[in-house]
Amino acid sequence: MSIREELNQWMLDNLTGEFEKIRWRGGPGDEDSSPELRRAWEQKFGEAGWIGLQWPKEYGGRDLSLMDFVEFNEEYARHGGPGRAGHIGETLMAPTILAYGTEAQKERFLPGIKNGSELWCQGYSEPNAGSDLSNIKTKARLEGNHWVIDGQKIWTSLAHESDWIFVIARAEEGTKGRDGLVFLLVELDQPGIDIRPIHQISGTAEFNEVYFTEAKAEASNIIGEVGEGWKIAMALLGFERGASTLGQQMMFQNELNLIIKTANENGRADDPSLRRRIAEAHAGLKVMRFNALRMLNGTQDGSTSKEGYISKIFWATWHRDLGELAMDVIGADAEIIEDELSPLQKLFLFSRADTIYAGTNQIQRNIIAERALGMPKEPRGNTNG
Amino acid sequence: MPPFPFQEDHEMIREAVKGWLSDWEDGGKTLHRVAKEGQGFDRAAWEGFARDQGMAGISIPEQYGGADMGLLGRTVIMEETGYTLFSAPFFSTCVLAADMIEAFASEDDKTDLLGKIASGDIIISVLDGREKLSLKDSKLNGTLSPATDAAHADLILVAAKDENNDVVLTGYSPNTAGLSVTPYASLDPTRSQAKVSFENVALSDGQAIGKANDVAFSQILQIAHGSLAAECVGGGQRCLDMTLDYTNQRVQFGRQIGSFQSVKHKCADMFIALESARSASYFAASPDLDNDHSAKFEAALIAKNYASEAFFKIAGDAIQMHGGIGFTWEYPLHYFFKRARGNRALFTSSEDGFQMLADEIGLKSHASAISGE
Repeated sequence: MSIREELNQWMLDNLTGEFEKIRWRGGPGDEDSSPELRRAWEQKFGEAGWIGLQWPKEYGGRDLSLMDFVEFNEEYARHGGPGRAGHIGETLMAPTILAYGTEAQKERFLPGIKNGSELWCQGYSEPNAGSDLSNIKTKARLEGNHWVIDGQKIWTSLAHESDWIFVIARAEEGTKGRDGLVFLLVELDQPGIDIRPIHQISGTAEFNEVYFTEAKAEASNIIGEVGEGWKIAMALLGFERGASTLGQQMMFQNELNLIIKTANENGRADDPSLRRRIAEAHAGLKVMRFNALRMLNGTQDGSTSKEGYISKIFWATWHRDLGELAMDVIGADAEIIEDELSPLQKLFLFSRADTIYAGTNQIQRNIIAERALGMPKEPRGNTNG
Repeated sequence: MPPFPFQEDHEMIREAVKGWLSDWEDGGKTLHRVAKEGQGFDRAAWEGFARDQGMAGISIPEQYGGADMGLLGRTVIMEETGYTLFSAPFFSTCVLAADMIEAFASEDDKTDLLGKIASGDIIISVLDGREKLSLKDSKLNGTLSPATDAAHADLILVAAKDENNDVVLTGYSPNTAGLSVTPYASLDPTRSQAKVSFENVALSDGQAIGKANDVAFSQILQIAHGSLAAECVGGGQRCLDMTLDYTNQRVQFGRQIGSFQSVKHKCADMFIALESARSASYFAASPDLDNDHSAKFEAALIAKNYASEAFFKIAGDAIQMHGGIGFTWEYPLHYFFKRARGNRALFTSSEDGFQMLADEIGLKSHASAISGE
């Protein structure tokens, strides 16, 4: 049986009963919906052996090939599989631990990700370290058997639902930029950590501020060495451009289908300018899929292929445009909120974040120009401080 | 490793074609010569390319004497002909005509015509007269313009609708009674255009190639048009390469202008448009679609329209990034800009193409409701 058929059967048998409520839910912009149910789903999913399929067999994975993993993600999305509470753990933390962690760290952390019992979030951005990410101010010092951490992270997705956070912090006094950083694994449930939700444009709160006041992490919970934090942090981001993008595209397809349905129902499918924009959105989504296939087939050695650099800005811009298109298709009725924001209203508002987080469109253009096109580097100011 | 989804043999063809076309182009001098001659056609080069290099038969099936390298094979060639604006009827003859003949002609005609295409011994111009030609009492009347590559065609393959709304495909020698071909200067001087008039041209004076249902004809036509995406990608790549070279050399305010963020961001946008057009092109040529006719049709609509829009944007941006020099005749960028504009408008315009795609994805319009959908 192919992985697609295998998952299809399991989804038919298990995405039922109470879990029906979270079908199609919990994606970006909707991550605060039914958190407890989605945590339960993550565990059910993990217990069935669906997490970590690409990991080596010795760590409980199936060494699944890339194209099989693509199929797996598409099948999951086709069923309206709920946004995965454990996706940061599985797609970012686990590959980083597998690549750079010690044997003890693999033994300690991989099982919790694999069985869905331990959820992770990402502690990168700070109030003064956004696009200029290396301007990290959060400090970590080793005291006896513990790292002691002071500072603040911001825009932390799902911090309030998570068990662990990975943190980049400055461990060497007086260092600047990419030097002197550490990559630490920190348990969230402790007195030194205070999590405050950020009330967003959409009225919901997926993002948080995380304050560290003498927060503690065991001395052994460092990935790599002191001074290697930047290298590890960037390697982790490399794992983000993976096969999960194809699952995300199934969700986009679902949104586009909803727009087409709306246009057919309210008669705006007859407006040539909207017809063209919808057709262009459809074309863009097909292009995005083939972009991803090219990127995935071109990066089996782990490096980023030249065309891989367009992935983020392309999907983010496409998705933000889709939000605007959705509103134009609904027309004046989109001004009305019934009970809560409709999925297309949420799309419109939340997609404003897409072109900002994980590298703004402006930063993406710098990266494309300098790395993919080899253009001269922007002169750097000396503003760290 | 060849880039996805190509194989080793495609890359060998690419290297060979690239080298040959680079010699042909001679650093831009040849385009100026072609433009000066005013025909948009370099016959000697075409014969060398099609016959001696054997490139005309790239995607013709083996049984008719071709190399049988499918859509990916022609994609490779058209990227390279787009990169150099090779002024020859590869698309008209080896793509459009070949596809029509393969889909609708009898076995004997296939053996004859596809064989001649593959050996580089015939130039065919395909004219879609479904809207503009009248076909009554077995006679064709009307004028078609612009007729790409008709000025030097050995055979003019024309489609017209009969009383039953079926598409009748007929091949004519340019010397046929009542048929006249008048060459035009083209806005794009590297492409050949003409006006073709039919005055009581008898079906019986031509070669009956076949009959087709209107929808089936449209699909084959659009699938062939999809290959133009590759030409757009090649042309777009050239515009970006020229822009990167220029912005790397040109110094203003004591800096290479390529170090300014406004210039870098524009180049990044050109790259995004180019690489996504490339994906559209490769998607439409992907062997995964081979057994799914309607998926192939949709992919071709996406490819042609997405890529021609991208090429036009890239070519326009390239002129802007070059400043004054991009505005001169001497500098060859304008040829690409003109080709890009032509590719948006010819062989189904982008506007019509996107409206067709809208139908294809289930957007209901009054127009389709009236036609009985």
